[in-house]
Amino acid sequence: MLTEAPVDLLQSYQSGLSSYDEVLDMNGNIKPYWKALFSKLEKLGLNELKSRNQEIISKLRENGVTYNVYGTPDGLNRPWQLDPIPFLIEQKEWNGIAKGLQQRAILLDLILKDLYGPRNLVKDGIIPAELVFDNTGFFRPCIDIKIPAKNQLTMFAADMARGPDGQMWIVDNRTQAPSGSGYTLENRVVMSKLLPELAEGMYVSKLSPYFNSLQNTVLKLSDKSKDAPNIVYLTPGPNNEAYFEHAYLASYLGYTLAQGDDLLVRNGCVWLKSIDGLQKVDVIIRRIDDDWCDPLELREDSRLGVPGLLQAIRLGNVQVLNPPGTSVLENHAFHAFMGNICTYFLGEKLIMPSVATWWCGHVKELNYVLEHFDELIIKKANRKTKFRSRYGRLLSYAEKEELKKMIIQRPHEFIAQQEVSLSTTPSLINGNIEPRYAALRAFMVADENGYHVMQGGLTRSSPVKDRFVISNQYGGLSKDTWIVSDKTEEVQEKIVFTSPVSVNKHVSLPSRSAENLFWIGRYCERTMAVIKFMNITINVLNLDRNFGGSAKQEHIKILLQSLTHLSSTYPGFLEEEDLMSDPYTEIIDLISNTNRPGSIAANIGSFLNAVGAVRNQWDQEIWRIVDLIDNGYHEIRNASSMHNNNIQKTLDGLFNNMFTFLGVIAESMPRDNSFLLLETGKLIERILSRVSVIQSNFGVKNAPGVENELIEATLINHHLLVNYRQIYKSHLSVEAMLDMVLLEKTLPYSLVYMLDELKNNIGRLPVTTRSERLNEAQKYVLQASTLVKLADVTELSKSNVGYERQELFHLLSEVSRLISSVSVNLTNMYFSHTLMHHSFYDPKEYDTDEI
Amino acid sequence: MKYKLVHKTEYKYAEAVNNYHSLVCLAPRSLPDQLCQNFTINISPEPSHIIARKDFYGNTTHYFSLHSPHKTLTVLTTAMVERITDATGSLFLPSEESSETARQRLLGDRALKISLLEYMLPSPMVKWDQEVRNFAKDCFQEGVPLYECVKALCRKIYSEFDFVPDFTTVHTPIKDVLAAKKGVCQDFSHLAIACIRSYGFAARYVSGYLETLPPPGRPKLQGSDASHAWISVYIPDYGWCDFDPTNNIVPGERHIVTAWGRDYSDVPPLKGIIFSYGKHMLNVEVDVIPV
Repeated sequence: MLTEAPVDLLQSYQSGLSSYDEVLDMNGNIKPYWKALFSKLEKLGLNELKSRNQEIISKLRENGVTYNVYGTPDGLNRPWQLDPIPFLIEQKEWNGIAKGLQQRAILLDLILKDLYGPRNLVKDGIIPAELVFDNTGFFRPCIDIKIPAKNQLTMFAADMARGPDGQMWIVDNRTQAPSGSGYTLENRVVMSKLLPELAEGMYVSKLSPYFNSLQNTVLKLSDKSKDAPNIVYLTPGPNNEAYFEHAYLASYLGYTLAQGDDLLVRNGCVWLKSIDGLQKVDVIIRRIDDDWCDPLELREDSRLGVPGLLQAIRLGNVQVLNPPGTSVLENHAFHAFMGNICTYFLGEKLIMPSVATWWCGHVKELNYVLEHFDELIIKKANRKTKFRSRYGRLLSYAEKEELKKMIIQRPHEFIAQQEVSLSTTPSLINGNIEPRYAALRAFMVADENGYHVMQGGLTRSSPVKDRFVISNQYGGLSKDTWIVSDKTEEVQEKIVFTSPVSVNKHVSLPSRSAENLFWIGRYCERTMAVIKFMNITINVLNLDRNFGGSAKQEHIKILLQSLTHLSSTYPGFLEEEDLMSDPYTEIIDLISNTNRPGSIAANIGSFLNAVGAVRNQWDQEIWRIVDLIDNGYHEIRNASSMHNNNIQKTLDGLFNNMFTFLGVIAESMPRDNSFLLLETGKLIERILSRVSVIQSNFGVKNAPGVENELIEATLINHHLLVNYRQIYKSHLSVEAMLDMVLLEKTLPYSLVYMLDELKNNIGRLPVTTRSERLNEAQKYVLQASTLVKLADVTELSKSNVGYERQELFHLLSEVSRLISSVSVNLTNMYFSHTLMHHSFYDPKEYDTDEI
Repeated sequence: MKYKLVHKTEYKYAEAVNNYHSLVCLAPRSLPDQLCQNFTINISPEPSHIIARKDFYGNTTHYFSLHSPHKTLTVLTTAMVERITDATGSLFLPSEESSETARQRLLGDRALKISLLEYMLPSPMVKWDQEVRNFAKDCFQEGVPLYECVKALCRKIYSEFDFVPDFTTVHTPIKDVLAAKKGVCQDFSHLAIACIRSYGFAARYVSGYLETLPPPGRPKLQGSDASHAWISVYIPDYGWCDFDPTNNIVPGERHIVTAWGRDYSDVPPLKGIIFSYGKHMLNVEVDVIPV
């Protein structure tokens, strides 16, 4: 396989190396797998690599892969960064690394059990008592939190980097709710799709056994008497930096994505609030940190957790992974004692070292640190202290003295780590392959055989030359990580599920998701209704302005006022005469002003938020459309600086994309409660918007010339103009039009059709009361539909002496009132318990678990 | 001395509360010098379960939750407590050792240090700075026995601070109390603990009850007793020794111990998470009735 000798790329890369690099072995020779990879890159050519990189960027965007960055204006939903050049480790070397990682996991698990148990490590003087009692990750309420498994530390991630001796060193531990495995999986998916030829001739180990092992472990922990355990993936919500991953993993693993207030503790059990009522939860995989898990016993101000959760765990009614309390292991000071702890517990040496660490609480170590400041990185032992790590050598004399003073005052709060030079690895930077520092996060999960190590991981490299900045919060790039060999058989693993694979036939929809889906339907239709009618109005305006239309200005005024009614953007065109003389300013505001409720931009913004909040519901086709809508959304926000023609083009594009969104849903979404709620929201909005336009266009009788214009506009608004002309030719009459838009059963935008559809939909939603009678919502729709069906269009089109079409107006007001009540009623019936605590959460308050 | 203890806490809410989770820390501890019998807890509306647990410090807590709408919540606890008269008081010094030697001993003995460390370090509600140290400077003379130092500190707090209810809340920082020179027993205890820890000694927060005596010649009023808080300091050769900075006394048989921890946040008497908006009113009645 290693036939072609790479020429240019590898040579020029090698010549640019200033420190030791991943491609070279200890003797300075190029490692065979890197040679092979470079020959593939050579074959591909730098230009093609660049264009694939562009494809990767758009693919990640399309798939909605984001990583939220705090504290920047466009911070939310920043696209995930993936370097097209993977990080390679040979299988043989990896096997050694995996042993070191497994030993580390076993040790941390033993430490965890000891610290929340007998604390022999402290009693026997292996670690100082400060590591427990001055450890902000040590939670006293967790002393009796246990899961019924051999290992308490179920999931574990370790950050590693290669030190000067060519060995991998452990730099950091993630023991609470390790992040990154979902991004790792997505990186692999994208790489295999867009750069498959890079792996030709090598065997790259699979990631899936890790996830199978995780599923197996979770299944074993769940209630064995149940054939379909209820497993919840607990996320802090859409504002969290890694929310994409939470949604992605929840749907990949087949678990219900939920936030803290989707859950409730009652009678010592945890329940999921769903539209089918309360569903008992068996296992929770949490992505919130220890202190936020239970406001009753941990952080009182936490809105992310579940009050009473710790008690439910103690009673054994729910299992939480990792069990709360595991943050005790994330204290940096443990690195200084790992060698001794290993000897103490296992009677053996550490296979993989931690980066050299000194805890300043002992006099000898403190003096060493003070004397060797320039070689060290100074950190607080506890995380989340707002103290940023400092490189001794980068400090000025005064800064050094100040820091030393701080350390001497409270030495036990500080640690120092050797600043080691780490290896660089090839990265694509501005179109060239350049060496950059990198670190690798490895993932482990406890199963019946011990700790299963993912055959791969998340590599992050620094975007800046000669600096070690890998956190994604600061722009670090990620890489797919390949464990490579030339044989395929040695790493194949059989996946055996411990019990017959259980099928969850009925998956409950959490109330919060249900509410979001309902509102997706509403916002989507509301936006489309406004765009549609606005386009009609703009066309009429343009015709009148530019071609001296025959009708009087009156119909334009009515259409503009209907637009205000439709979008509820009062006073709008109802009061101010100035707006009428120059309607474009108001129209552009109606399109682009995100801060104005009812504007197109505001509605799309709400739509996108709701879509993002239930992202686990969507497949890639839908994400692609959502991405297009998002593009249009960014365009129309600048409508004031756009040419009129382009504004309309963008609006058309948005309308078409939203139509496609509904179309893909109609064609592909399972006919379950999610679909029904989205459809119901859509229908309610469609009915209300059409009723509003008819009411404001025809509530008052106008001159025939004006009415003809309004009839045409209304028919277009109902997608019926062609249909109407086929039947009535060019004869425009209010009565004929009303007959069609109100009563024609076969037309999807006629009022009776929409009301009947709504009735059917609501009838299929879950019943929350034991009664077999119609519920309130059903009664309202039935009443509305009956009122319309009993109406006589001849009577409706008549007006009184004041030119008011009273009957029509009253009928439409009543329909509007009834359908609005349906919405309120559904909210009370299915979403009411989501109202509590809504929108309380300020992301700035939540400490980051940065990747 | 034997007491019947009655503690009634009542919440009235403006809006009905649908879900409520609570952790109660009101059961008196059983100690060598304190016997607690027949502890009962009654909650209205009645929860389906009340779950007792021993916390990290050995205090007994009770957990319950309510899930039907209610506008009033009452927690009533009763117990029979016997305090056995202790030999402490101010008659003789528990230890003659100077505070300097005492500090050396705390740090020198590993087993001792492990058991005391968390009472020597800053805790969620007890943090200190130079200002706190300066306040206590004249109380902590290196040559004077630790016991005397703490007594001097309690005397200083008692004489310089005013007992003013409602000036502080449970979240008022020590700095503010020190500046205003007023507060309640919880504030004085936190301040005293901060001072003691800032000089390298171990101090813990004690929560409990105090039997109040009516003014001479007047009958005792119902509900006039109070939840109380004081401190306990570790004195080498003697052990934990209680002090009451609010009343400048060494607690004796009128003090009933419920719980201890690093500070108030470890042992709040009644803590709850409400799912509701709107205000609430709180009414607490305590009776410590000599039997």
